[in-house]
Amino acid sequence: MAREKRRWVAYGLTVPSYLWLAVTVFLPLIVMLYFSFLSKMPFGTAEPVLTLKHYKSFLDRDFYHFLTWRSVKLGFHVTFFCLIIGFPAAYILARKVHGRWREAILLLIVLPFWSNTLIRIFAWTMVLRTNGLVDQMVHAIIPGAPSVGILYSYPAIVIGLVHSFIPYMILTCYISLQAIEDSMIEAGRVLGASSLSIFWRIILPLSLPGVVVGVVLIFVPVVGAFMEPRILGGRQSIMLGTVIEDQFTEVFNWPLGAALSFILLAIVMAIFAACYPLLRNRMKLT
Amino acid sequence: MFKGNTMFSYGYLALVLVFIYLPILVMMAMGFNESSNYELPFRFSLVWFEALGSNDALWRAGRNSVLLALMNTAVATVIGTMAAIALVRYKMRGHIVLQLLLFPPMAVPWLILATSMLIFFFYTGIGRGLHAMLLAHVALSLPYVIIVVAARLQSFGTELEEAASTLGATPLQTFFRVTLPIIAPGVAAAALFAFAISFDQFVTSYFLSPPGVTTLPVEIYASIRKGFTPEINAISTIIITVSMVLLLVVSRFYRFGGAR
Amino acid sequence: MTRWIAYGRRIVGMMAGLAMLGATSVAVADEVRVLNWKGWGTDEAWAVAEFEKQTGTKVVHDYITSFPETFTKLRTNPGYYDIVVLNAAFVEKAAREGLIQAVDPAMVANSADLYPDMRDTPQLNFDGKVWGIAWVWGGTSVTYDTEVFKTPPTSLDVLWDPAHADRVCWRDNAEDSVRFAALALGQNPDQPEDLDAIREKLRALKPQVKAFWKSGDEWLKLVAAKECDLSIVWTNNTEAAAVQDNLPVSFIVAKQGAVAFRDGLAMPTNPPNAKGAYAFMNYLISKEFYAGWVKIGGAPVSANSKAVEELPDSSLTRQVLTQPDAIKRLNFKGPLSDEERQTYLDLWQETKAYFAE
Repeated sequence: MAREKRRWVAYGLTVPSYLWLAVTVFLPLIVMLYFSFLSKMPFGTAEPVLTLKHYKSFLDRDFYHFLTWRSVKLGFHVTFFCLIIGFPAAYILARKVHGRWREAILLLIVLPFWSNTLIRIFAWTMVLRTNGLVDQMVHAIIPGAPSVGILYSYPAIVIGLVHSFIPYMILTCYISLQAIEDSMIEAGRVLGASSLSIFWRIILPLSLPGVVVGVVLIFVPVVGAFMEPRILGGRQSIMLGTVIEDQFTEVFNWPLGAALSFILLAIVMAIFAACYPLLRNRMKLT
Repeated sequence: MFKGNTMFSYGYLALVLVFIYLPILVMMAMGFNESSNYELPFRFSLVWFEALGSNDALWRAGRNSVLLALMNTAVATVIGTMAAIALVRYKMRGHIVLQLLLFPPMAVPWLILATSMLIFFFYTGIGRGLHAMLLAHVALSLPYVIIVVAARLQSFGTELEEAASTLGATPLQTFFRVTLPIIAPGVAAAALFAFAISFDQFVTSYFLSPPGVTTLPVEIYASIRKGFTPEINAISTIIITVSMVLLLVVSRFYRFGGAR
Repeated sequence: MTRWIAYGRRIVGMMAGLAMLGATSVAVADEVRVLNWKGWGTDEAWAVAEFEKQTGTKVVHDYITSFPETFTKLRTNPGYYDIVVLNAAFVEKAAREGLIQAVDPAMVANSADLYPDMRDTPQLNFDGKVWGIAWVWGGTSVTYDTEVFKTPPTSLDVLWDPAHADRVCWRDNAEDSVRFAALALGQNPDQPEDLDAIREKLRALKPQVKAFWKSGDEWLKLVAAKECDLSIVWTNNTEAAAVQDNLPVSFIVAKQGAVAFRDGLAMPTNPPNAKGAYAFMNYLISKEFYAGWVKIGGAPVSANSKAVEELPDSSLTRQVLTQPDAIKRLNFKGPLSDEERQTYLDLWQETKAYFAE
């Protein structure tokens, strides 16, 4: 009896979350999947029929493949740089810095979460452009150097995205790094392990959950990025994300946008699936 | 631990902080520069802050953003905490299902979530607007809230709660008198995250905003693409300063170091 | 417990506030909603203030960066806008789709002063109805940096000149790209015969292009940052940059020609404030409004025969664009079929992908 009741309470407590996610995630994704097979927008007098033409046009056109590769590559680059810059920072914070300093620095690192990604991306335009801050600094050090405006380039997109996503990586790595008990490292040291092998055999494996969460939290949004490339990329700005955005805001070809979205989603899922054996047992969220 | 190592450590952190804050500081400084096209040399001026005073669109967008973030915080924290309790305390059988449900908001690119919601809301009559953005923001916040609160719940045993119910407390009394005080720091952290996720959320708001109803990120993006003045820098400076001050105040009550 | 109930009340109160906020944004008494390019006349601060002073009607704007975006906005927000600025070549398409409704010229008194050929063009008059009020015309052409070029270039070939590699700011627009490539190749920009040659010509721009721009403001910031020796841009934006921002730019009408457009004022179907829309249309085509636009610098050419006198001989528009031999080289945009537009768009996206390789 009591158990029965407990079960109903548990259902009651989760129903709002289920419902909410159903309306905002699952039903929309199903409807979008259906949309991606429509020949045209069901709008006004148009009578769409079911078709595979949007998927076919993806297969037929080389530039879509190229753009898909570009978006995935951007995801890899940004995630990679976030990891190699962010992990050491998290490591230092978790294991070398203590007390008020640690708290203060951590606060400074998460503070940008409460500002605005868009503003921070936009800020880079003022730093990177010709005659901007970087350019002027180079000229102050080496007079007569050629101008170094790297705004409107692929590296500018990567820099901007690394900047806006690196707090995620530092935070997730930090959480798992600071959970490692000192005694484990001591044990390793007593048993005669070198610093390097302590890092490889103890610290890295134990911090892997944080790394993985960080990678997912960064890779996923970056693959679909469109605002950052538009603002920083100049003629390099075209990505699969910008093409999808165009289908919805400009071209009014939502079915094509839906098809491209699903292809992108399939690729993200395929990458996760490929990594899954590596991550099994480490993705226990609760 | 020798000294050079420590210096290197702090030096590295300093570099990372410079990387994070340099563009923000440059952006703030440009809000005080007279040229509307960010031309140098720098000439100090407050014209953009003055112009901001009469920029109704930005103020309206700012008000929408704050209101939306507050609503999102309230809704996401409440229903997320409920789900976390069910997951941890009631050992729900369906909790694998819920985990699967939680995954998509984090594993599907925002662009795809946003465009699918646009299609769904547009054709079902839910439409676009602040209510649609609220739906989206709560969905994006829920996983974070549930994970943070669940983590806090898991780090405490059930002894106190069991004691309370043995002594005859009703489940509601147990929750408000025992459980909630224990998990309060986790709930507060979750609420802060929910606020940040909504206040900073651009992608879903962008696709779900009809003309005339925008949030700050949407308004700023429209400005950047369609024409802007350093008023954008001025409002950004205000946002960042206010959020810094608020967060510093909050941090006095809640330790971010996760001190164990 | 009572404390939580109080919190609950507050949350409900906030929800009510949210709902009210939504409601007020739908029904503001007297305003005219205009869909237009940013910085394209209708949103000039002085004009909006003057119109509000005269009529008590506020003017609010929503902006676009391409005409396809205009169409998308009209389709997804029916019954929201009062006035839409449309290239005359697209008016018929908008009318056929039911996105705009016919206007009553009698409600726009100043339309009597419009040049008859612009007012009565079949692009705005069909099915026995009037679908748009002729407003202004202007050009899209090659703009150059006067500090880089001591003598103005004369040919479109300069855009492909390796001496200006990585110094060209190109308009990110499929139609204009195809048109300029066609002009450079000596093809008909409205009906290019050889799209493969155009594709190759556009690809050849790869080493030349510094950045793409979509809004006039983006272009202005590029020029202010000294990123471009040459641009493809609207001629009146160039004049505005030279006059209002003191930037070293001027434009030419190249020997191969330039692109020109006529913009009209149309009324979206079921506008919330048709009366206000007519009043603002009448103001926009008035001599008074045009005089103000000319004064700040960078106005296009008015369709109003009386207003156009306001354009001084010293203006770049008079000195370059409206010279008799230059006018002969202007190609006014004609309509495109949906198939043609899709072909151009695919071609342009492919080209941009190639640029990013």
